[in-house]
Amino acid sequence: MSGTVGLLGIGFLLLVVMVFLLRKSESGSGDLQWSASYNSTQFEDRRNALLDCIFGPDDWTFVLNQASKDVRRLFLRERKEIALYWLSEIRGQARAAMRFHLANARKSQKLQPMSELKLAVDYLSIRVKCALIGAILLVQGPVGLRWLVRQAGGLSDQLRGLLEVVTKMGTLQEKASVPD
Amino acid sequence: MKKNRGHLTPVDVEDALRDLQSRTLAKLDGDFARLIYLASTRDYNSGRYEHDGLKFHFTSLVADQALAVAHREVFVRLALSSLKILVRELDHYIRSGYARPDELLKNWNDLEAYRILSPAQDDPLTIKLFISNVKIALAIVGSTWKDAPPNPDPQCASQLPSPAR
Repeated sequence: MSGTVGLLGIGFLLLVVMVFLLRKSESGSGDLQWSASYNSTQFEDRRNALLDCIFGPDDWTFVLNQASKDVRRLFLRERKEIALYWLSEIRGQARAAMRFHLANARKSQKLQPMSELKLAVDYLSIRVKCALIGAILLVQGPVGLRWLVRQAGGLSDQLRGLLEVVTKMGTLQEKASVPD
Repeated sequence: MKKNRGHLTPVDVEDALRDLQSRTLAKLDGDFARLIYLASTRDYNSGRYEHDGLKFHFTSLVADQALAVAHREVFVRLALSSLKILVRELDHYIRSGYARPDELLKNWNDLEAYRILSPAQDDPLTIKLFISNVKIALAIVGSTWKDAPPNPDPQCASQLPSPAR
C-alpha cells in the first residue's frame, strides 16, 4: 500500500517536471498559474547553460591561465563533484520515470510491445551513458570533460524524451487500466 | 498606492519589482552586492522576505514575492556566469565594500557564509555550482590579495550588508 502511494507520488512529481519542461510561458489568469509559468520560464535554457558551465572549457582555460596549482587542483575536484552530482540526478530521474511507467503498465490492458521495447532500450541507453561518463570522470577526471559537453547535452535530451514518452504512455494506459 | 491587500497579482509583483530595482538595487554596486543585499532581506526562520518600503507601498505578500523574484534573478545571473566574471564581481565587491579584505576573505573561507546566499527554492544543481564557483573564486581572489595592498579609500562599508547580517 505504502509502495503504491510512493509510486503515485513519484508519478505526480514526474508530471510536475514534465509541465515545467513542456510549458511555454502560457499566460495564466490565477495566482497559481502565474506563479507556475514564472518558475518554468526558460527552464530548458537554464539546463543548457548549466551544462555549458559545468562541462564547458571556458572556466578551465581561465583557471589554467590565471590560477596557481592549488587552485587548479581545487577547480578539478569541485567540477568532478558537480559532474557526478548531475549524473546522479539524471540516473535518479530516469529510474523514477521507469518506476512510474512500470506501475502504470502493470495495470494496463493495452500494452504496446514495440513502445515498451523502445522505452526499455532508451532507459538502458541512458544508464549505459551515465555509467560511461561516470567512469571517464572517475578515471580520467574532468580533463576529459571537453568532449563530454555534447554527450552531456545528449543525455539530458534523452532523459527529457524518456519523460515525455513515459507521460504519454502513462496517460494512455491510465485510460485503459484495469480497476483494482 | 496599496492595492489588493491579501491578494497577489502579477501586476502588483511586477510593479514592486520595478520599484525595488530602480530605488534600491540600481544603487548597489555590482551583482554580488545585490545578491548579498537580497539574501539579507530574508528572515532565516520564516524564509520570507521583508522590506519596509515595499511593504508600505504594496503589501507584505507582494514585497515577499518581488524580493524572491529579484533574488532568484540575480542569483541565476551570477550562478550561470563564467568563473572569470564571478571572480571580477567578487573582487569588485571586496574592493568597494570593505576596509579589510583580508578579514573578509578569511571569514568567508572559514565560515562559508556564501552558502546562505542562494534562494531556498532554486534548482539544487545550480546552487551547488554557485557554491563551488564562489569557493574557487575566493581562492583566486585571495591569492591576488596576498600581493596587492588593501584599498586605502574604500566605499562606505556600512552601506553594504554582509552575508552574516
